[in-house]
Amino acid sequence: MEADVLIVGAGPAGISAALTAEKFGAKVILIDESFSPGGQLRQQTQYFSNLPTGYAPDIGLKVIETLIKHLYASSVQVYTNHTMIGAYKNGMIGVTDGNKTFPILARANILAPGAQEEAKIFPGWTLPGVMTAGAAQILINRESVLPGKRAVMIGTNNFAFTVAKQLHDCGVTIEAFIEEKSQITCSDGILRDELKHVPVWTESTVQIAQGTGQVERVSVHTPEGRKEIDVDLICISNGFTPILEPFVIMDCELTYKKHLGGWVPLYNEKLQTTNPSCFIAGNAAGITDLGPILLTGEIAAISALEEIGILNSEEAEIERRKRWLELEKLENTAVCQARKNLIASSRSRQSPLTKSK
Amino acid sequence: MEKSTIVCRCEEINIEEIELAIKNGARTFDDIKRLTRCGMGPCQAKICMNPVREIIATYTNTPLEDIPPPRLRMPAIPVRLGALANGVEDFKESSIASVFGESVEDGDEQNDESV
Repeated sequence: MEADVLIVGAGPAGISAALTAEKFGAKVILIDESFSPGGQLRQQTQYFSNLPTGYAPDIGLKVIETLIKHLYASSVQVYTNHTMIGAYKNGMIGVTDGNKTFPILARANILAPGAQEEAKIFPGWTLPGVMTAGAAQILINRESVLPGKRAVMIGTNNFAFTVAKQLHDCGVTIEAFIEEKSQITCSDGILRDELKHVPVWTESTVQIAQGTGQVERVSVHTPEGRKEIDVDLICISNGFTPILEPFVIMDCELTYKKHLGGWVPLYNEKLQTTNPSCFIAGNAAGITDLGPILLTGEIAAISALEEIGILNSEEAEIERRKRWLELEKLENTAVCQARKNLIASSRSRQSPLTKSK
Repeated sequence: MEKSTIVCRCEEINIEEIELAIKNGARTFDDIKRLTRCGMGPCQAKICMNPVREIIATYTNTPLEDIPPPRLRMPAIPVRLGALANGVEDFKESSIASVFGESVEDGDEQNDESV
């Protein structure tokens, strides 16, 4: 299999990159390990209004439905159930469909694997009934399965409140939010207001989750002493961290940026990693909001096409600048600052596009 | 936290075992992996990577950003041997980048440092 550009990951960033590259005339292959394109947006039922020009504000799964429709109407070759598992000596990416393993030869690669949820350990966290907020969200919004009836949510970030609200709307009683810090971290006032009936225990940690065969109760250490409640669902919302495997396999250098989710591949303003043939897009780059995620797909595609000579440098620079400006307007301040720091540190390296050994 | 709390659920490695590895000189995830099998199960450290790094950071009083992630090797997901071998004859242009060469190299570097 051969293409101008291979894109790994068909979430919003990957699809956006694929459509952009195709629009500029590239032959594109897009692979995803799942049975369907769409990534984690397929179970987001909350409303997204902060989107780039050309996107209609809608709930997540409608936004992705439209993107998938465009994808299948395009000339992009989409391979679902195909996973990147490794690399060949000459730089080709190795892919498996579960029956055979083969290389895809592309002149440039865009890696958009997304981010994964962080675990949180406490005694009893391996009991059935303890899951990440994202897992609970897949169960209710995609599988139509109620993961429990009485729940606590560990964490008070935006995603914790988003999923707690969706669980609440499905009839799950949210008994409490458990927050280590001294205050709620969710920045969405409307969302907080909608769940103001739920107690928030700050400066609190889970002591132990107990039960026979599954979670039946949880003990929480709070400033007012130990609290114990009967629950059959404990959701963990401990933030996201970039998925690193494809980058490490492709020998891309990593750097640590707390506000981008921890370890993250180093990239420059072209979204090019330290492996010149590999570009990065989406949540793997520590970009968290949907609007900016879609724009990083476009930027990575433009840079990849510049790298292989389909776009000339001036055209590419104009197209990129336009999108960075729009991205900055949609991005939250902490992420924006961390991203700029990361890009600045890639610039100050002596040879930014070769791997230091 | 209770020392018997599981950290790596794939290989059932608990806090006590990780702290023992640290006591024996482990300072990175890969050190702990080599001593305990932590992170060597089906999920390949996807879940325990950061909890383990946090334990190392706390125990050794080191900033979290100074604890590197594990070396993530191919295959990135569990693959049946049949699927890995199937198709090999079709491609003569390049072989799979070996992880063994890299291990030897790492080993040499570490030996140099320790001498």
